[in-house]
Amino acid sequence: MTRSRKMMILFMFLGPTLAAVILLRLWPASMAVLESLYAPRAQTMSLENYAYIFGDPLFQKSILVTLIYSIIVNPLQIAIALALALLLNVSIPLIGLWRTLILLPVAIPQSVSAVVWGIGLRPDGPVNGLLVALGLGEQRFLTSPDQALGSIILIVSWIGIGYWMTFLLAGLQDIPKSLYEAIRIDGANRWQQFRYITLPQLRRTLTFVLVANTVSNFLVFAPVQILTQGGPQGSTNLIMNDIYTRGFVWGDSSSASAATVVLVSLVLLVVVMQFRLMRAPEDNAA
Amino acid sequence: MTIQPGRLFRIACIVLVSILFFLPVWWVTVSALRPQEEIFKYLSPLSLWTLWPRDASLIYMIELWQGPFATAILNSIYITVVTLVVGLIISAMAGFALAVMNFRFRETIFFVIVVSFLIPFDAIALPLFGILSKANLQNTYTGLILPGIGNGLAVFLFRQFFMGIPKEIREAAQIDGMGWFGIFWRIYLPLSRPAIISAGLILFVFQWQAYLWPLIIAPAPEYKVAAIAIAQFADLYGVNYSLIFSAAFFISLIPMLVLVVFQRYFTASVASTSGKG
Repeated sequence: MTRSRKMMILFMFLGPTLAAVILLRLWPASMAVLESLYAPRAQTMSLENYAYIFGDPLFQKSILVTLIYSIIVNPLQIAIALALALLLNVSIPLIGLWRTLILLPVAIPQSVSAVVWGIGLRPDGPVNGLLVALGLGEQRFLTSPDQALGSIILIVSWIGIGYWMTFLLAGLQDIPKSLYEAIRIDGANRWQQFRYITLPQLRRTLTFVLVANTVSNFLVFAPVQILTQGGPQGSTNLIMNDIYTRGFVWGDSSSASAATVVLVSLVLLVVVMQFRLMRAPEDNAA
Repeated sequence: MTIQPGRLFRIACIVLVSILFFLPVWWVTVSALRPQEEIFKYLSPLSLWTLWPRDASLIYMIELWQGPFATAILNSIYITVVTLVVGLIISAMAGFALAVMNFRFRETIFFVIVVSFLIPFDAIALPLFGILSKANLQNTYTGLILPGIGNGLAVFLFRQFFMGIPKEIREAAQIDGMGWFGIFWRIYLPLSRPAIISAGLILFVFQWQAYLWPLIIAPAPEYKVAAIAIAQFADLYGVNYSLIFSAAFFISLIPMLVLVVFQRYFTASVASTSGKG
């Protein structure tokens, strides 16, 4: 086979994917960087757009909201997902069905979950109906600046917990039973089994779930755009919503690009951390 | 076998939690079957009718399909099917080249492909919008489909799977005079059902869920996808809740069926590829 013919064949196999990589990721990412370096009407590159957004109280607040949201939503989802994985790591009748019921919300597009929960959280909706039946007062949920972010957290958690649980469950089932037997012979109680076997053995899965969860939570958009548009009073203005508002509602693509670069850097930082953490002390137990 | 109280308590917890998670899905289904005025009727105080349709009827589901929603869900199906077919083919071909063909910079190219796809798509949707709208791809199926077809995880899955196929098979085929396309199409692809299913699920979920991208690239009504249509329902029908719930039911039904059927492949493959990165 001639060299050029070989190159042709190789190009036919790899070409479409390479084109997709360049067109759909690398080019737009470099466009964002480039555009973020040109302030409106400026002739030379500068960090003006960055100075502008970081000095903008709206952007400052959106970073603050994103941080508060991340600090609550990630540990919350992972703690519940881990608790459920431990709970469901057992053989009982119909176990597949129970796991599937918890996983099911993942299949529903986020926009649909948002619309449905938006109706569910209305003042006359079923959630308030339930709270009243339990003797608790009605809540305002999405219309209250104090409760709107919590309501978004409830919605994304309903969607995500089953998904993360599934990974953790797979991780739990990979732990060799012999390890538990050994430590039980040494007289370890349930907590010690969890502390000295389960947690260390689950480290890699947990790290993956933590980082992947953090990344996906940084990118939450549909529920915010559909339900609150960042309000009330900016209390749910997560970073993706801020970028969308700048770029498409105000038509300010310069500061939208700068905010995009900030977000992508944040996400890549988290991804790099994932690889670092996962490569840490390799599989101590053989 | 004796049943210990601890085990019984655990079973009760599992059933309760599962039902709690499923409740909103059930509520959507029930609400899709009941008339407008009954949707909020049985909520306070709660009654048996809260979770069971009193006058169940399919008329809302039928009415839904006569409106613009039919276009939206057909658009979603069309876009997702094309994404699946094209995306699977190009990812499998790239995975094949990266797994079995020898060429310079193979590892580097593989690294670049995987790393570039780590840039989250939604975060760069705005600059991509700038690029594709200059190419006049606004309000086109091509514009809607493009972002879904390239997926680093799908390429990765195929490469891993193809590397596991013994090279003796390919050598034998080469001796028989089969070219690379023949080997790919007639030998490797038919062997790779698990990889096709896992990669297919990833591509499917991405495209069926897409919200931000269709929102900006295709605002015209005739290109609306289901995930957008439902969010804008209030304007179209003056908030007809029966129709909203019927739409939610249909949009969710397809991915739920897919998930239930292919669940085991999905969790197994994603856990073993990314979870153990």
